[in-house]
Amino acid sequence: MNKQVEEALVDLKSGKPQEVERALETLQGIVYGFGMKVCGTREDAEDTAQETLIRLARELKEFPNARALAVWLYKVAKTQCLMSRRKSKFAPAQMLTLDALMVKGSGSSALHVKPWEITPEDITLKKELRSKLEDAILALPKHYRLVLLLRDMEQLDTREAAEVMGISEKTTKMRLHRARVFLRNALEGYVQGPRRPKAEHHG
Amino acid sequence: MRSKATYKGHGAQRQNIMANRRCKRIFALLSDYLDGTLPARDCRELERHLEGCKPCIVFLESLKTTVEGCRRYGQNEKRNLPPKLPRELRARLLASLRPESIRARGKA
Repeated sequence: MNKQVEEALVDLKSGKPQEVERALETLQGIVYGFGMKVCGTREDAEDTAQETLIRLARELKEFPNARALAVWLYKVAKTQCLMSRRKSKFAPAQMLTLDALMVKGSGSSALHVKPWEITPEDITLKKELRSKLEDAILALPKHYRLVLLLRDMEQLDTREAAEVMGISEKTTKMRLHRARVFLRNALEGYVQGPRRPKAEHHG
Repeated sequence: MRSKATYKGHGAQRQNIMANRRCKRIFALLSDYLDGTLPARDCRELERHLEGCKPCIVFLESLKTTVEGCRRYGQNEKRNLPPKLPRELRARLLASLRPESIRARGKA
C-alpha cells in the first residue's frame, strides 16, 4: 500500500490545522502524480487532483483505515482520469495477447533475445530512456496502463489494485504481466538497436 | 511413403515446436515469479526450464530490469510537486477535512 496515504491519515486524525494542511498536500501530491502518469498532461492531472479532493472533502464521513482510504482515492482518481481521457488523443482499447507480445519481443520472436546492457537506474536517469518509458506507458491500452501504474508505480498490492479497477485478482495479474512485457518490448529495440542512448549533456 | 530423412526433419521441427510451447508456458508465469507469488509447483517447473533455456533467462532478466525501472520511475515522479491549489478551494477543502466537519457529516 502507498505509505504516503498512511501518513496522511495519521495527520488527518490528529486534527491539528498544520497537520491537516500537510495531509491535504500529501493527498494532492498522490492523485496529481497518478493523474500525470495516467493522462500524460498537467491539465488533466490538475483536474484529476482537484476533483478527487473535492469529492474526498464532500464524502469523507469517518476516518477509514489507510487501506480503505487508498483504494477509495485511487478509484475516484481513476474515474476522473478516464473521464478526462475521453477528450485525449490517447484512446487505445485493444487487447494485448501473449502470442503477439512474444513475437514483438525481438522482431522475430521473444525467444531469441539478446542480453540488455542497461540497469533499472538507467531507465530513470537517462533522459532518452525515461522518455521512451513514458511514451510506452501512454501507448498502453488504458486498462493495462492503470493496472501497471497501480501495481508497479503506486505500490498497491494485487488485491488493492483489483479493488480499484473493479476486476478479479486473476485479471489484474494477467493485465499486469502483459503491460510489463509491452513496456519491456518497447524498451528492447532501444537498448539493443543501433539507436543506443547518447551520453547525457548537462547544463 | 515418406523417407527416413523426411521424418528426421520433422522430428527436429517438432522438437523446436515443443521447446517453443514450453517457453510459451513459462513466458506466462514470469511476472508471478518476479513478484514471488508463483505457486511452489509452477516455481519448480519454471526453474527447471530456466536451467536449460538461455533465451528465457535473458528475457526474464530484461523483464526484471523493466519492472525495477518502473518502480524507480514511480518513486522519482512522486517528487514532482503539483501546482498550488486555488486559495479559495484550498480553504474550503481544509475546512471540510477538519475532524469536526467529518464527524458532522457522519451524523447527517
